[in-house]
Amino acid sequence: MSGTAHAGAGRATSSAAPSLQPRAAVDAALAALADPLRRRTVELLVTGPRRAGELAAELGVSAPTMSKHLRVLREGGLVTDTTPPFDTRVRIYQLRTEALSGLRRWLVEAEQAWSDELAAFAAHVASRHER
Amino acid sequence: MSADGSRVLVALRVPCEPAEAWRRFTDEIDQWWQPNQLFAFSSGGSGTLAFEPGTGGRLTETYDDGTVFVIGVISAWEPPRRLVVSWRQESFPPGCETELHVGFEPVAPGETRVSVTHYGWDRLPDEHAARHGFPLEVLQLRFAEWWRRMIAISFSGPRPS
Repeated sequence: MSGTAHAGAGRATSSAAPSLQPRAAVDAALAALADPLRRRTVELLVTGPRRAGELAAELGVSAPTMSKHLRVLREGGLVTDTTPPFDTRVRIYQLRTEALSGLRRWLVEAEQAWSDELAAFAAHVASRHER
Repeated sequence: MSADGSRVLVALRVPCEPAEAWRRFTDEIDQWWQPNQLFAFSSGGSGTLAFEPGTGGRLTETYDDGTVFVIGVISAWEPPRRLVVSWRQESFPPGCETELHVGFEPVAPGETRVSVTHYGWDRLPDEHAARHGFPLEVLQLRFAEWWRRMIAISFSGPRPS
């Protein structure tokens, strides 16, 4: 969708189209989240990046089990992993915020757009009253 | 006004009774609706909005060349208090729908509070739930709550590492 502005309010909001996630991405994310341990993993990662070992310890599971679940989350597009330069054996997992930020942007823009629409509605009601 | 993470809620008061507010909102949407970029329903420019009254009726946008884009279908039509309509724009991926709830609440004689709640991911397509083997309502409720919490946390500023 192009960024061409339609006529109207002339607000200075972003030109981005509303961005719900593509369906395949939503499917993959939902599949990855269809497990309580993986949801708890995401809950921990929301507060900040963690090592695989830390996650395993906090969730009370073995390293191979944790690794298996992290792989599903990674394939579902919910987390990414990095290796710090000081220790290539360590993997640090981080939540991908794109899934959340797309929705967030839509919400912020939609709130402004609805404020404008309701203001236009109120003006319409008021104008009839004055007649 | 508030956006709590998974929905948008905007409300204001208008100087008339709920029945009149309802009529103005629905019958006269072509007169007050302002085209705006976020709510560009299709790539065909902006047209005229109209409700087809009643449950099962549609909210449509009609363009100068006579073509019609269906924005959504009305699932609750309860004049003069409440209406619910699904909401899709051409730019949404297939299967992604949002839902609009409009309320008309008397707050004083001759004064009505009009509230618009636009739900986003709370309304996942049913087939997602079916495919992933969850009881439908439980999944939708749980995911709505869960996303709300995740989003609320992620909005609450810089994260401790």
